[in-house]
Amino acid sequence: MRFRRWTALPIVVALLVAVGAACGDDDDDGGSVTVLSAMEPEEAQALNDVLEENLDADYTAEIEASGNFEEQLQIRSEGGDLDLAMLPQPGAVADAAESGAVSLEDLGFDIDELRDTFGDVLMDLVEVDGQHYGLPSNVNLKSMIWYPADDFEEAGYEVPETWDDLIALSDQIVEDGGTPWCVGFEAEGATGWPATDWLEDIMLRTAGVDTYDQWVAHEIPFNDEAVVAAGERFGEIMFGDGYVLGGAEQTPSIAFGDAPAPMFEEEPGCWLHRQANFINAFFPEDAEPNVDYDWFPFPAIDEQNTLFGGEFLVAYRDTPEIRDFMEQFTDVEIQCAQGGIQGTSRISPHPDVESDCYANEILGEASEYLTEQLQAGTARFDASDQMPPEVGSGSFWSGMMDYVRGGPDSLQGVLDEIESSWPS
Amino acid sequence: MTDPVDQLSAPAEQSTAEGEGPAGPSPAGRDVAVLSVLRVVAMVVIPVAAFAGLWWVFDFLRDADANRLVLVAVAIAVGVVGVFLLFWGMNAVVDRLPARYREGVRPYVFVGPALVMLAVFLVYPVINTVIVSFGDRHGDGFVGLDNYEFVFTDESMLRSLRNTAGWVILVPLVAVSVGLVFATLADRLRRGEAVAKSVIFLPMAISFVGAAVVWRLIYSFRPAGFGTNIGLLNGIWMGLGNDPVPWLDKQPWNNLLLMVIMVWMQTGFAMVVLSAAIKAIPDEIIEAARIDGASEFQVFRQIIVPSIRPTIVVVATYMIINAMKVFDIVFVMGNAETNGTEVVAERMIRWFFISNHDGRGAAIAVVLFLAVIPVMVWNVRRFREQEAVR
Repeated sequence: MRFRRWTALPIVVALLVAVGAACGDDDDDGGSVTVLSAMEPEEAQALNDVLEENLDADYTAEIEASGNFEEQLQIRSEGGDLDLAMLPQPGAVADAAESGAVSLEDLGFDIDELRDTFGDVLMDLVEVDGQHYGLPSNVNLKSMIWYPADDFEEAGYEVPETWDDLIALSDQIVEDGGTPWCVGFEAEGATGWPATDWLEDIMLRTAGVDTYDQWVAHEIPFNDEAVVAAGERFGEIMFGDGYVLGGAEQTPSIAFGDAPAPMFEEEPGCWLHRQANFINAFFPEDAEPNVDYDWFPFPAIDEQNTLFGGEFLVAYRDTPEIRDFMEQFTDVEIQCAQGGIQGTSRISPHPDVESDCYANEILGEASEYLTEQLQAGTARFDASDQMPPEVGSGSFWSGMMDYVRGGPDSLQGVLDEIESSWPS
Repeated sequence: MTDPVDQLSAPAEQSTAEGEGPAGPSPAGRDVAVLSVLRVVAMVVIPVAAFAGLWWVFDFLRDADANRLVLVAVAIAVGVVGVFLLFWGMNAVVDRLPARYREGVRPYVFVGPALVMLAVFLVYPVINTVIVSFGDRHGDGFVGLDNYEFVFTDESMLRSLRNTAGWVILVPLVAVSVGLVFATLADRLRRGEAVAKSVIFLPMAISFVGAAVVWRLIYSFRPAGFGTNIGLLNGIWMGLGNDPVPWLDKQPWNNLLLMVIMVWMQTGFAMVVLSAAIKAIPDEIIEAARIDGASEFQVFRQIIVPSIRPTIVVVATYMIINAMKVFDIVFVMGNAETNGTEVVAERMIRWFFISNHDGRGAAIAVVLFLAVIPVMVWNVRRFREQEAVR
């Protein structure tokens, strides 16, 4: 009696298996390669389309967009279920080296050749104990100041070449009854990061790359004189009379994506906005590059260097497919093709990817500028992304917000506090 | 324990009673030993067999280059059916034991594995967390009480402790009082009680993250020059002729604004449970009070509230624990550190997963764990008292 019910079970199982098998006919012979990434699903889809068209291989490759990238990365690298990942921070590359990533040397890459192509700045970022982990897959230029091109010209303003020019221009705009700067630091849980970019950009120009590198590595304290000096320069803009739309103390509540909006009003609500190359995705849809907006490099102070960010393709397994994918993905053909994606903000780190690869003219210009600086060795990766996370994604963010709220006199205290949060 | 009636009605209890001691019809000493061994074996065999089986299948499935749907189907089949068969098989094995052991072992076959699982997945993690809390950022090494010192000296941590205390006191207080008022008043509605209660209960159906996103829009702020303010609160505020306010930026009041969200979500729950309790109060008592000349307020104070006190306690405990582990609301509503809205659970996640400092994360977890214990003890004690009354 009891067993009659049981006879149904094998049938159910058999059915399930059959259904699964029927759906599974699309299996391929050459295997597949998947790349875990923190991209938005739309961007991943666009990249997958590029791969579909341009990848020359007998295996399939797929970029996977993950909404909770950090956790997925940890879980899947520990579970051994990860081919490749696109890591957004050099610090994460160092962690990956510890938790089972395969070095480029072991994969059979020629490091000297890579250094020739991508330059030492990028390749030094992925070096851990003499081994290299990860190829630069895309970069973004952070040292950009945006302005409303047509109104700017009409008002007779000129693109500033130096810091003094920039301050003079700001004063001029105030004198003409306008507000020079639009600034917004709100980014939900990451509120404050755009302000760290500001300070880093200024640091690079006042203290130079060597001091910057020492600062990142904590060979000089976080509250070193050089940082205080950079912070004071940042304050010149933030606390300048009538400089910032809404006032400095409001900036922690203004979403960084909303911040540039006033620039596009009939009478520009502000004239200058400093943000990385991705920000034009937040501009009004009908805004035309080179007409409604344009950009110039963050001007030189004592010297001219450049701030950038980027991602690295890291392998967690050593197979011929994975190696081949890494090679093809970072080579000119696919890198150029991905520049053709409408609305992308990915700049190729490959110097041979010409600016006409990019669907977006502005991105093309930014790419030219950044690759030049990378090759020259004057570009530096975002410092906060390289510092220990409790500083780089903690006290540095909130400290900068305390500064813009607290006013010029709070600078030393803020920097001292960030220094004391640095893990021993 | 040896009440014959009890034994007749509950054979399962009889067997436990037997096992527990000399009070039952006691088996010989050797039998007790054999029985204990059998019980332990029964408790351990099932989880180990299940684990080994699942491990083997998992390993097999992971290596196979098969279609994913097939893998899922097989995994479901093996997981569900396999575990079922395991219990069924163990039960059959128990049937083959000598009659005098049979009923003494059977409960352990079914309850034992759950206890072992509980030990593995609950007790072991607790112990391990305590160990890790004495370690460095990778969880190894030994740093003594450094992490605990951090918990009680770091400025941001201290703020989180203060804020969590605020949540634990204010949220249950407001949600329960408002819920109680609603329950009492809704009870008096001639029509529309169901509708009124549904509306208040509705937010309960939204996840914390969803609610936080909704309230972000209510508190939204844009300074002059950055376009129209779309926030409801600023809409009202500006309608009264004021300038827009960055609400989530106003320390320490922003903490209260975040608590409002949880109150909004939980009041409905309090109302429904308390309303059910109010309806269970016998009408005679209330009528008697009224005949004796009690005012409505006196009825509420001296009849209704005392009658439903146990329910109030249960609801309040539930809310205290919920308030202690609040995380989502704070996390979604901006950078807690810059807004001064840190809470303990939020700090824990931050140190574990964003700052990657396992030692500090674990120390915060231990402190939170210790803070929950008194509430649990209080709750269990109340529950026992109640049972004793019955």
